[in-house]
Amino acid sequence: MFLKTLSVVKIKNVLLVTVPDDPSDKMVYELQEQVLRSLEKHRSTGVILDISLVNVMDSFFARTIAETTQMVSLMSGMTVVAGMQPNVAITATELGLTLGTAFSALDVDQAFEILNKALS
Amino acid sequence: MLVDKLTAQGATGLSITSESDIVACRKVIRDLTTQLGFGMTDVTRIVTSVSELARNVYVHAKVGEMRWNSMRSPGKIGIEIIFEDKGPGIADINQALEPGFSTAKSMGMGLPGVKKLMDELEIVSVDGKGTLVKVKKWAKVK
Repeated sequence: MFLKTLSVVKIKNVLLVTVPDDPSDKMVYELQEQVLRSLEKHRSTGVILDISLVNVMDSFFARTIAETTQMVSLMSGMTVVAGMQPNVAITATELGLTLGTAFSALDVDQAFEILNKALS
Repeated sequence: MLVDKLTAQGATGLSITSESDIVACRKVIRDLTTQLGFGMTDVTRIVTSVSELARNVYVHAKVGEMRWNSMRSPGKIGIEIIFEDKGPGIADINQALEPGFSTAKSMGMGLPGVKKLMDELEIVSVDGKGTLVKVKKWAKVK
């Protein structure tokens, strides 16, 4: 499956954000803005960042995710990063990258469970 | 595949002049290293390094170039990737290789990270004249 653009879908009180496989820097910046604007518009309390398609995560991408999580938190939301590929996790750790205070889940299903428990 | 198209045109390099060229650099090297026979994790390590280095060129020098050479000998494959620009150069290379050091308000994980992900990293930089970064990665194959 190849996704070329960012998808932000509101499901009940959660925003489901699907990141394409090889996002440009511009798209990563847009992700941040779009998530925060949608959060305000829909008054969502949780954000799921589905990165299961993403096959490379460098320091810029990781920093933007960590920052976005912090911004979402300032707007009283909670972020779960879902579906990181094993190769990406290995490389990110070797690079010394972390995702800040974001929670993580194996997939979107598990991310919904985490949010439902935390937000209920 | 982008790399096939470029190779057919006789190209062994790609110029970096815009942000979208960072994606192009990643694509070319992903294709090339996959074709060469690198494993998935090594491909990810190499492509992540390319992403860091191509962005360095774009952020610090605005314009530059990526060149590549693939190497194949019995039981062994390798790739060499060179990034060259005529940007401001790196004042202190040792400092630039320290985790957490950054002049661009980033995390400062780029160069030190690349050093960990690749087998060889060589930096030649002349203050005010430009920078050349050469990385290599090897793998055993059957």
